[in-house]
Amino acid sequence: MQDRQNHIRNFCIVAHIDHGKSTLADRLLEYTGTVASRDLQDQLLDSMDLERERGITIKLTPTRMKYTYKGEEYILNLIDTPGHVDFTYEVSRSLAACEGAILIVDAAQGVEAQTLANVHLALDNRLEILPVINKIDLPSAEPEKVKKEIEDVICIPAEHAPCISAKEGINIPDVLEAIIREFPSPKGKEDAPLKCLVFDSYYDNFKGAICLVRVFDGSVRVGDKIKFMQTDHAFEVTEVGYFTPKAKPCDALLAGEVGYIAASIKKVSEARVGDTITTVENPTPEPLPGYKQVQPVVFSGIFPVDGNKYGELKDALEKLKLNDSALEYQPETSVALGFGFRCGFLGLLHMEIIQERLEREFNLDIITTAPGVNYHVYKTDGEMIEVSNPSNLPDLSYVDHMEEPYVNLRIFTPPEYMGSIMDLCVDRRGENTGVEYLDEKRVRLDYSIPLNEIIYDFFDNLKSRTRGYASLDYELSEYRPSKLVKLDILLKGEVCDALSLIVHIDKAYIRGKAMVEKLKEVIPRQMFEVPIQAAIGGKIIARETVKAYRKDVLAKCYGGDVTRKRKLLEKQKEGKKKMRNIGSVEVPSDAFISILKID
Amino acid sequence: MSKKNLSLYIHIPFCVSKCSYCNFCSFPATLDTQKKYLRALNQEIVACGKKYQDRVINTIYIGGGTPSTLNDGAIADILKNVRENFCTSKNVDITIEANPNSFTRKKAEEYSQAGCNRLSLGLQAINPNHLKILNRCHNFKQCKDSINYAINSGITDINLDILIGIPTQNIWDVKEMLDKITALPITHISAYSLINEDNTPLTRQIVSKMLPEPNSLDVVNFYDFTVDYLQEKGFFRYEISNFAKKGYQSRHNLNYWARGEYLGVGLGAYSFCDGVHWENTSNLADYILAPTESQCGIEPENIITAKEEFIMLALRTTQGLDIAKYNKLFSADFIAEHRKNIDYLSNILDLIEIKDGFVRAKNFYMTNTIISRLFEFE
Repeated sequence: MQDRQNHIRNFCIVAHIDHGKSTLADRLLEYTGTVASRDLQDQLLDSMDLERERGITIKLTPTRMKYTYKGEEYILNLIDTPGHVDFTYEVSRSLAACEGAILIVDAAQGVEAQTLANVHLALDNRLEILPVINKIDLPSAEPEKVKKEIEDVICIPAEHAPCISAKEGINIPDVLEAIIREFPSPKGKEDAPLKCLVFDSYYDNFKGAICLVRVFDGSVRVGDKIKFMQTDHAFEVTEVGYFTPKAKPCDALLAGEVGYIAASIKKVSEARVGDTITTVENPTPEPLPGYKQVQPVVFSGIFPVDGNKYGELKDALEKLKLNDSALEYQPETSVALGFGFRCGFLGLLHMEIIQERLEREFNLDIITTAPGVNYHVYKTDGEMIEVSNPSNLPDLSYVDHMEEPYVNLRIFTPPEYMGSIMDLCVDRRGENTGVEYLDEKRVRLDYSIPLNEIIYDFFDNLKSRTRGYASLDYELSEYRPSKLVKLDILLKGEVCDALSLIVHIDKAYIRGKAMVEKLKEVIPRQMFEVPIQAAIGGKIIARETVKAYRKDVLAKCYGGDVTRKRKLLEKQKEGKKKMRNIGSVEVPSDAFISILKID
Repeated sequence: MSKKNLSLYIHIPFCVSKCSYCNFCSFPATLDTQKKYLRALNQEIVACGKKYQDRVINTIYIGGGTPSTLNDGAIADILKNVRENFCTSKNVDITIEANPNSFTRKKAEEYSQAGCNRLSLGLQAINPNHLKILNRCHNFKQCKDSINYAINSGITDINLDILIGIPTQNIWDVKEMLDKITALPITHISAYSLINEDNTPLTRQIVSKMLPEPNSLDVVNFYDFTVDYLQEKGFFRYEISNFAKKGYQSRHNLNYWARGEYLGVGLGAYSFCDGVHWENTSNLADYILAPTESQCGIEPENIITAKEEFIMLALRTTQGLDIAKYNKLFSADFIAEHRKNIDYLSNILDLIEIKDGFVRAKNFYMTNTIISRLFEFE
């Protein structure tokens, strides 16, 4: 029976963003005949529109392929992984289901920040790593140099690394053969009790929650009574199968295989990603270790534009949470925005993706408040409270001191951009902790920098300063004492809680001024003058005024105008629905997000 | 059984030249085109007359374009045709639009004999520079002459259209215009705030900074001045832009604002009958070819659009929205349907008042804000 598992390889592909992971995945599907090339859409595994549009992978899609090597047929299970820094946790989930990882490195760009981070993850999971040099068709490709860089910087052998072009389809069989040769086969115990890892899940309106699983020991088939070991919920299996990449039901999933399980799981919270599934009758004694539960680091409020849609927003978040265990949320009330949720994200991209999915997939109009981080506030009575919502910051007379989270930031860049990057990091209160020349064309810069300073626009700024050549990666390091203040925005004299921010005292003036200037642009003229002020603890630090508007329309209305005018006013009404009343001031819902886009 | 009332609008899309601010369905045309158009128009009138035998026409409005550009006798023919095919009320009100430069003594007599009893003159401005900006070619003397012709022929109910907010117009210009026109023997004034519609030569000139854009605060001040001035002279505001001496309100327009039925004949004309809105084609060739099959944009009203129109039209009048009438018409409760917005509009923005069972706009300049708020139903 071990012979069956000898012919299985479970692997994933890790890479820095844009190094060609999804393209290679598509190419593997094509070469193994899993998908005919005429059916191949670009980046087939990126199933969300959003993923294809942005050219990024967020969700994992495990795909079963068949490949014949030396006369024997092998089953190759590919688990795609996201490449963006925000989604490191997704990578770690894929890794836990695999024995091997293909590490793609761009033949022109070499090792990048995210390459390194992913390799460390793979090594932590004791995976075999197969380096693949991609984009050898580029004129600037230097495969030999990159091989050396892999050996020097990552310390893994790269001499025999396949050199390919996924885009042009060059040397793809080398990769397939190396997968079979280099990666270990699964070594599951077929007769042992079922032990199976849920590495992802999604919600299907007809079948309920679908768990994507890797079977380690035993087997699972339709009709089996299974249970989730963490939550202790039991279900009867209604369908098992695998992806090609379309879902394909089968009789059973056996040890060493990757596939999906449906079991009429109605409540999304009952199928937790990272949990171990076993059978009710013959449970395995020990669950799998799972993997590190990720902690959200960026927080913001999400509110429905239409206050009546609170329930819909709640349902939508619940469904997203099933696919995305990193998303956290809890109810929040704002004076300005009413009922909504305070949500925790892995980073700004993660936040943007959740926003877009709420809008596209659930058709909700939402308002997002400025993202913030989790501060530690030490009160005068010695108590420490965690504050991520500026509105919850206690009165300063009760605050002894505050701490903010710092990260260790690594930036890989060509040396000519070093000066500009250093300026940016100094401006963002970063402290340089190291500079290392990897070779004459690449430098690694290390910074200790407040997380607060990199969650808005740091990455965009870095990209524009380095024409896209720099890459970054970071992880939380520690909390440090900091002089933080709450910056309030007042509209016509009233504090708008949804616009409040916690900022470093040295940044308060510039930020306050930029915010009132931006708000002046986006708040339409009203019947009265609207002063927009920025204040710290009651002291006004900046002010702009939106002038009054005295006349909207004073037009003729004859017979032919009736329908036309009514439609015009209906449009105006629809526009109004996207407005929020802060006191008597009407604020467009875009205003809340516009202030994030201040440089 | 008494017949239902119907207002009839007759569109004459021709003019001598196009005004710079105009986005109506109007253009200069050859005599031959005019002839073909009139033939088609009369065909449509015959067909509609058959269809609406159960209605009685109590107001007729001949608008444009400039009806007075038509050859002598054309208007008389049209009205004769209407009387032959429709059932018209004994005291039917017939208004005709004219421009001071194409209205003659002969035309005045023709119109009067054909039954017209109301004249609406497109004066717009008296300052030659303003008239030039508007691309209008007439002068104040022609206006006075036109009025004399009308009165001598027996048409004594006379309206003047004027514009407030013409680029470069100042408060003294407005005062001078009001001084002069209120000295004339007229009964009605429509004072429109000049709207810069998309795709007009005037708007393009303003966008390209060849002309200064009128400041909205100035326009509000000019208009406030106009309202006060006209009231002093006995012209009372009864709708956003309309002022009349006692007893001279425009019956035809009042019917629009009360959501009465109206039938429009001619190119691009709009109709509202039996709960359905529609319009005729604006394509001249199509219309001439098949005037009786030119209806398009047919849109049956539903309860929401009916309510919205009622609100929109009623709030344009100084009388305001009759709450009891609304509640009866729609079996609804206006106050309960709009509680939140009534509170906002009256207490926070101070834009409306509710008194004696009527909702009134206190500030007509913000009519769109008021109405679009009241388009929300709780």
